Amino acid sequence: MKRYDAIIVGGGHNGLACAAYLARAGRKVLVVERRERIGGAAMTEEVFPGFRFSVFSYVVSLLRPEIIRELELPRHGLHILPLESTLTPLRPDGKAGDYLAQWSDHDQNRRELARHSVRDAEAYDEFGLLLHRMARAIKPLLGVAPPDPASLDLRELWDLWRLGRYFRGLPEKDLHALWKLLTMSAADYLDEWFEGEALKGTKSASGIIGTLLGPRSPGTAYVLLHHYMGELDGVFRAWGFARGGNGSVSAAIAAAAQAHGAEIRTQAPVSKILISGSSATGAVLDNGEELRAPIVVSGADPRRTFLGLVGEQHLPDEFAAAIRRYKFRGSSAKVNLALAEPPRFICMPQPGPHLRGAISISPSVDYLERAYDDAKYGEISRRPYMDIIMPSMLDPAMAPPGKHVMSIFVQYAPYHLNGGWNDARREELGDTVVNTLAEYAPNLKSAILHRQVITPADIERIVGLSEGNIFQGELTLQQMFFLRPAPAWARYRTPIRGLYQCGSGTHPGGGVMGAAGRNAAMEILGARA
Amino acid sequence: MSDVVVIGADANGLVAAHLLARAGHKVTLVQEHGARERTSGWVPAALARELALDVAVEWPDPWLRAPLDGGGVLELWRDRAKSVDSIRRLSARDAGAWPRFCERMSALARLLERIYLEPPPSLVDLRFALRVRRLGREAMEDFMRLLPMPVAELLDEWFASDVLKGALGALAVRHLHQGPRSAGTAFRLLHYHAGSPSGVFRSPMSNLAALLHTRAGVGMREAKVSGITVRGGEVTGVVLDGGQELRAPLVLSAADPRRTLVELVEPGLLDPDLLRALRNVRARGVAAKIVLTLERAPEWQTLTLAPSLDYVERAYDDVKYGRISAKPWLDVMADGASAEVHFQYAPHEQSTDATIGERAAKLLAPYLPPIKQGKVLAPPAPWPEGQPHQAELALDQAFWMRPLPELAGYCTPIKGLWLCGQAMHPAVAGIAGYNCAREIGRA
Repeated sequence: MKRYDAIIVGGGHNGLACAAYLARAGRKVLVVERRERIGGAAMTEEVFPGFRFSVFSYVVSLLRPEIIRELELPRHGLHILPLESTLTPLRPDGKAGDYLAQWSDHDQNRRELARHSVRDAEAYDEFGLLLHRMARAIKPLLGVAPPDPASLDLRELWDLWRLGRYFRGLPEKDLHALWKLLTMSAADYLDEWFEGEALKGTKSASGIIGTLLGPRSPGTAYVLLHHYMGELDGVFRAWGFARGGNGSVSAAIAAAAQAHGAEIRTQAPVSKILISGSSATGAVLDNGEELRAPIVVSGADPRRTFLGLVGEQHLPDEFAAAIRRYKFRGSSAKVNLALAEPPRFICMPQPGPHLRGAISISPSVDYLERAYDDAKYGEISRRPYMDIIMPSMLDPAMAPPGKHVMSIFVQYAPYHLNGGWNDARREELGDTVVNTLAEYAPNLKSAILHRQVITPADIERIVGLSEGNIFQGELTLQQMFFLRPAPAWARYRTPIRGLYQCGSGTHPGGGVMGAAGRNAAMEILGARA
Repeated sequence: MSDVVVIGADANGLVAAHLLARAGHKVTLVQEHGARERTSGWVPAALARELALDVAVEWPDPWLRAPLDGGGVLELWRDRAKSVDSIRRLSARDAGAWPRFCERMSALARLLERIYLEPPPSLVDLRFALRVRRLGREAMEDFMRLLPMPVAELLDEWFASDVLKGALGALAVRHLHQGPRSAGTAFRLLHYHAGSPSGVFRSPMSNLAALLHTRAGVGMREAKVSGITVRGGEVTGVVLDGGQELRAPLVLSAADPRRTLVELVEPGLLDPDLLRALRNVRARGVAAKIVLTLERAPEWQTLTLAPSLDYVERAYDDVKYGRISAKPWLDVMADGASAEVHFQYAPHEQSTDATIGERAAKLLAPYLPPIKQGKVLAPPAPWPEGQPHQAELALDQAFWMRPLPELAGYCTPIKGLWLCGQAMHPAVAGIAGYNCAREIGRA
C-alpha cells in the first residue's frame, strides 16, 4: 500500500490548488477525483460534437493573482481573454429597442451612461473609486485564515490582534462605507448613487449571484463588492474568459501540481474518510481500496464532507448541528446553446464588440426582484435574470467554423422547486430561458442547434455541490469570515485532527478564486499566507 | 431668556428636557404637536430613577394571541410554563424548544440593553469588542450569527409551527420596509425583546411621556418651529412660526435629522456630503393605523393575525412594488370597546386609503365583536414619511451608523445643536433623549 503525506478529496480547482502548494513544499500528495475528469465545476466539455462548453462556471475574475504567479499558471497553459463590455438590452419597445452598454473605454462608457442619465455618468467614477477602495481594504482578508474572535488560542489571538490593528488603521470613513456594504441591500445601496433603472438593475445583479436573496434584501450589497474584487493581471474589475474554457484553469493548476510531483487519480470516488480515535488516517474508495495519509484535505462542501464522508458519529454535537444548519439553497442554473449563427439583438442587430463581452438580462431592479419573488415560493422565475457570454467569439476553437456557443447563467431556479426537479421541469426551464431571451434576440430560436439545460439538481448530481449551490454554501454574512462554515472552525481545520477543508465552503467563499485551496495549504504547512 | 430649547414633546424630547432641567438648566420645550398619551417602549430603571418617576409599564398578558386555523388560539404569556402549554397544542417539539430559545435570546437582549443605555460604540471600539467577548462563546457566536440573519431563518432553525413563526416574524419586521426573509431582520426581534422579560418579544406601553408632560420644571410652549438660528458655526436659538425668536446656546431637536438639519437650519451651513447622506437616510413608512369602535369589549387584549412567515412575506411583496398588501398582517390592541389595529404593509402615500379599513375589517370579522365604526388614522406628524423610527431601524442604520456615522454621537457639526429623536441610537422612545442629555452633561 502506497503511503502519502496528504490525500486531497476532490479534484476541483481548490483541491488542485491545495495539492499544488503542498507538493511545492515537498509533500507527497495524492488527489482523488470521483469523476472521469478533474476540475469540479471548473471544467470544459465537448457536449455536442465540435461544440465545447465551460459547462458550469464560465468566467474568470476572482482567481487570485498570487496563485497565477506562484504556480506559474501561464506557463502551464492558462491564457485569459478579457471580457470588455456588458450589454443590457432593455425591454423591446416596438421596433427599435434600447440598451445600456458598459464599455471598458472610459470616455465611451461615460457617453453611454450620460445618454441615459447625466447624473449617473457623473456619479459613476466616484462610485467605482469607492468600491475599488473597499475591495482593496478587504483584500488582506482574502488571503488569511480568519481568526475566531472567541478563541483563547494564542496564535489566533495574535492574528485577531493583527487584523484588528489593520482595520483600526483604516480611515473611519472607509470602515463605515464597508459596514454599509456588508449590511445594505444592493438596491438601497445603488439608490444612493444612481437613478437609471438599467444601470441599477445590471449592477445589483452581481449582488444576487449564487444566493437565494433578491436585490432588495440586505446583505446583497456585499456580494456586489465580491464581484468587484475580480483582479486580472493586477487590473481591478476586469473579467475574463479562459482560452479553452474554464477547464483550462483547472488543467493549468493540475499541471502545476503534477510538475511539483503531485499524483492525480480520476474515477476514484471516496466513500469514507478513515478516522481512528479522533484523527484522520486516510480515505476509502468506493471499490474498497484504502489510502493512508496523516493528512486528509476535503475539497467537497461541508455537508458532503462531514455528514457524508466523515459521519456524524465522529463529530461533536454542536459542530454537527452547525453543519446541518449551514445553508446551501442553490438558486442558479445554466443553459448552454450551440448556435448556427450569432444572436441578433433588436437593440444591436449587427455582430460587433458587444458579443465579445457579457450580455445581461437585467433591465431593472424590479425585474430581478420579481424573478426572486417566484423563486422565494419555490418556482422557476417566469422572467429570469441571465448573464450571457459567447465563448466562441473570444476563442473560435470553442465551436466549429462559423458556428457559436452561448453560455447562459440563469437565476432563479430554486433547488427546492415545488414538486421537485424532473425532465419536464428541466425543459420548462430551458424554454423559459430561450423564450425570454428570444424577445431580445428574435433569431435565437431558429439558430439553436443543440441545447443543454443544467438545473441545481443536476449540478448537485454531476459535480457534487450540495443543493447545487455554486459557492458551496450561500455567501451571506452569517456564513462568512470566521463563521464559514461553522463558528470556531473557519481556519480550514476540523474537529478531527489531520482533517482539513479547502473548498469554497470555507473562507473566503466561492467563485473560481483558488484562495480557499491556497489558504488551506498554508494552514497545513503552518506558514503565514 | 432660557439657556436650552428642546424641539419636540415626544418621550425623547421630554426626557432630555427634564434631565437637563434637573441638571440646573433653564429649559424651554417647544411642543409642535400635542403629546401622545402612551409611549411604546422599554423604560430603563436608570432613567426612571434619575427622573424620580414612578412609571407604569405594561405588557398585555398573554402578550401574543394568534388564532389557529381550525379554531383555538396560540397564547404566549409572561409565564413561560403557560406559553409552553399553549405551544404544545401545536407542536411538542416547538414546546420543548421554547424555554431554550427564550434563554438564548434573553442573553443577547441583556447585551443590547447595555449597548442601548450608552452612546453607540465605535466600530473599532476595543472595550466593546471585549464586552462582546465576555459573553462567552455560545452567546457571542449567537450574537454574531444572529445580527445579519433573516428572522425567518432564525425561527426556522428553532420551530416548526407556522403560526408561532408567522406571528414572531411579523412583530420583528414591525414598521420595517422588509419582510421576514430579508437579511438583518433577526436583530429586530432582539430589539423589541430588549427591556422585556425573558420570553416576551414585544415592547411594553408606558405612561412615560404623559407623566413628564404634566410635570413642572420645564417651560412648555405650543408652537411650530420655523428655523434654527446659527451664528459663526454656533447655534443661537430657534425661530417660531410667528417670527418670535427663542435665544439659547443649546438646542436639542427630537425632530428627525433631515427636518432638523436640512429644513430648519439655513441652507449652506452644512457640508454638501453630509446633506447628501441625510437625503439618503431611509425612512419609509409601511404601516397604517385603524381605530375601531366595537359593539362590546372583546375578552382579550391583543390579537395578531400573521398565520405564517410566507403570509407575512407575501404581504411585503406588495409594498415592494408600491401597493397596499392584499393580505396584510394585523396586530390588534383592544382597550375596552375600542381597538387599535396595526396594518402592515401600506406604502406611506397610501396609508390613509379607504380600502385599508375595509381589508382589515374583513380579515378581523371572524375574531372581533361587531364593528360599529372604523377610522383610518394618518400617521403622527413627527414621523417622517410615516416612519416612527424616523430612520428605519436596519443594521446599516443602527449603532454607530445611526442615523449616520457623522451624527451618531448625538451632536451635529453646528456647535450647541444636538439630536435626540428616534432617529438616534437606540431608537427606543425616551432612551435616545436620555443618552443625548447625558452626552451633553459630559461635553
